[in-house]
Amino acid sequence: MTIVKKSLPYLLAVVASFVAAGIFIALMGFDVFKAYQTILFTSFRTPNGFIQTLLKFVPLLLLALAFTIPLTAGKFNIGGEGQMMAGGIGAAAMGIMFADLPAILLIPLVILGGVIAGALWGLVPAWLLYKFNINEILTTVLFNFIAFFLIDYVCTGPWRDPAAGHPTTVLIGRGGWLPMLINNPPLHSGIILAVLVAIGVYIYTSRTTGGYELVATGANPRAAGVFGIKTRRMFVLSLVLGGAVAGLAGAFEVAGNQHRLIEGMQSNFLQLGLIIGLISRGNNGAVPFVAFMIAVLEVGASAMQRTMMIPVEMVFIVEALILLFVLLSDVVRRK
Amino acid sequence: MEDKTILELKNVRKVFGQIVALDSVSFALKRGEIHGLLGGNGAGKTTLMNILYGLYRKDEGEILLRGQAVNIQGPRDAINQGIGMVHQHFLQISNFTVLENIILGTDVKNKYTMKMDEEVIKVKELCQRFGLNVDLNDVMSTLTVGARQKVEILKALYRGVDILILDEPTTNLTPQEVDALFESLRVMVNDGLSIVFITHKLREVLSVCDRITVLREGKNITTLDRKDASEEVFVRAMVGEKMDIENSIYFATEERQAFDQTSVEAPKLKLENVNLISQDAVQRLKDLNLEVFGGEIVGIAGVAGNGQRELAEVVTGVVPVSSGKKIYLGDDVTSKTNEDLLSSGFSYIPEDRLSDGFLPKATVAQNLILGQHRIKPYSDGRFINWKTVYAETTKNIKEYNIKTNGPGDVGGNLSGGNIQRVLIARAFSMDSQVMVAHNPTRGLDIPSMDFVYQKMLSRREAQMATLLISEDLDELIRISDRIAVIFRGQILGVLKRSEFDKYAIGRLMSGITSENQPSEEKTLP
Repeated sequence: MTIVKKSLPYLLAVVASFVAAGIFIALMGFDVFKAYQTILFTSFRTPNGFIQTLLKFVPLLLLALAFTIPLTAGKFNIGGEGQMMAGGIGAAAMGIMFADLPAILLIPLVILGGVIAGALWGLVPAWLLYKFNINEILTTVLFNFIAFFLIDYVCTGPWRDPAAGHPTTVLIGRGGWLPMLINNPPLHSGIILAVLVAIGVYIYTSRTTGGYELVATGANPRAAGVFGIKTRRMFVLSLVLGGAVAGLAGAFEVAGNQHRLIEGMQSNFLQLGLIIGLISRGNNGAVPFVAFMIAVLEVGASAMQRTMMIPVEMVFIVEALILLFVLLSDVVRRK
Repeated sequence: MEDKTILELKNVRKVFGQIVALDSVSFALKRGEIHGLLGGNGAGKTTLMNILYGLYRKDEGEILLRGQAVNIQGPRDAINQGIGMVHQHFLQISNFTVLENIILGTDVKNKYTMKMDEEVIKVKELCQRFGLNVDLNDVMSTLTVGARQKVEILKALYRGVDILILDEPTTNLTPQEVDALFESLRVMVNDGLSIVFITHKLREVLSVCDRITVLREGKNITTLDRKDASEEVFVRAMVGEKMDIENSIYFATEERQAFDQTSVEAPKLKLENVNLISQDAVQRLKDLNLEVFGGEIVGIAGVAGNGQRELAEVVTGVVPVSSGKKIYLGDDVTSKTNEDLLSSGFSYIPEDRLSDGFLPKATVAQNLILGQHRIKPYSDGRFINWKTVYAETTKNIKEYNIKTNGPGDVGGNLSGGNIQRVLIARAFSMDSQVMVAHNPTRGLDIPSMDFVYQKMLSRREAQMATLLISEDLDELIRISDRIAVIFRGQILGVLKRSEFDKYAIGRLMSGITSENQPSEEKTLP
């Protein structure tokens, strides 16, 4: 009963946003029902569609967690993109430098390289916050730009693949490729690790003493500090954890999908991650489900563009509307 | 005295969300009287007066001023109608002078030159007439709370009000200042003003008011003439039928046995020459020495802002001392942090419950374990045992009478009094060797206050140490074994229970010790 009651505003928000976006699609002269059919069912009609959805789901889930973990402690990490790129660079560096190592060594090395690089990208803003009280929103955003140029340098520098038309590194060593769960269409095993990370984050924040301190810090840092929680350390910890998770997403893109570092691999995962995190209201347990839903929409959107020529941005509008309506339902309930 | 009603509120009703704050309350004020509005916290006294002053909109009922129905939209309206209000928290600009504060927002004749000779004459005349002595050129921030209150009253009088509402005016005044205030009030009513005096302190209304209206839980209980009723009648009206007054501590009259210091060898907590210098290089605590024994309640009296908060935070380890020593059960714990102290037998009820003590976004259960979340039975150091936490929380909700939907309810849904109960439950539910309680009964109704006192006394029975820091002198006298008076970060004196005297404590609270008494007395107005 209470679950139904709690999820009702969400359902209403989703329905309302589809209705609102439907009006636009109709005004543009397209068939609304067919468009929505494509968006909602592409993922489930063919194995290919479903696997595409899962591939999209992995970075979305991780980027959303990179936002919600620091949010649990009351900090805003808007640097998931930069941390993901840093993770990609770290993973690619390992995969290229130690290209000859066997898989049993190279895979962990590549993944660790990504995680550590992402964590470092989160650590610098965290340290600036800890030491000088510099707002983490500002620094994490700015670090995205540094990562842009770094990835540009790496993809056009010594590791450049001269045969490619787009700024790209050479392939990483064969041993660094993530094993495939399914070969055709390809689905890499990173999804297992990603889901384990999500479960781990949920257990950490809801069951452990350390996670409690994170939650308490986010709920009221002053009171948490008065009662013996070292809140500034919690801020650092949460931002570094967030960076590490985003770095893992970067490593998966390199080791699982492209097997090389490509400029532009970050797509618009950052914005989608923020939207997922906000729709989940920072609840780490809800993130995987919302992330999956958004992945379905995203995959459906590209199919819709292909078959019906409706611009893919339409779905972005739907996603933004869901967020708006969810936030609105908060306001309405408070009245 | 002229027997004429100047102001009447009829069947006023006000609902906040689900809570009925005022349920058909009526109130009549006569010209030239001091009318006490008496009730515990949450009785609706302030809400009623805020409606009159235009700060809240009433849901039902009407206001009759001099026989005519009026619609007051805001404080400006109220002042134009001749109603002034002095809030519990003063609304003043601290780096302005007294005069500037008084005339702020009124029309000054020489707007561009700011020559205010006429205004000065008018204010000075008011000061003299009502015995409110303040120097008009003093900067606000240098004044004592008592003087700042005079300014607040002058502000209302300057605007020509003839009805004055005072909301808990004696909070933070020394007993001497209270007496002076009462004298001024008497002069004002003799001059034709009418005064509403909001308070929860029974003795004050009995000593100054002509008529008394008692509110409880948003309802009118009774209105009586002072001379027609005894203290017992008012007590019963304030607390209702349910409370056991005979065994209460709040209304206790008989003398309690004072703590016998000889029976215990060493204090549980000892502060030696503790100094605290804040980040902006201000000395907050100075050469402070204090001992709290097991089985003892030590009260800290003082006007707010004299270092009480700093003392509490130093004892609990929230801030480190600048110099000096802290000894707990014989061990030097000077360098221990609050994390260590809270896990090794300290508990803390902070003064500012919303900012320092509560997690509004977390659940009630999460709130109850704050500070004890690392130790058994709530945690094994790594994982929180939520089953135990929820069971304990459910128990505490019942025992401490916390009004909530359950352990999983979000803290932000709780009212102020219930938030305070959560803080009290958190501190008392663990058997702490040393408790620091800073204004623990703020926002509680009388039965709940009494409950806290019972709990404190049972701590005393169990040979635990309690440091009670309070702005309520009556509370300290009621329950402490010793009272230490703090003034500008220094302990000016420690009194035993047998030596408790309101006026002696009041003198210390305003910084007058026997050594400097003659010279200080001269500088006082």
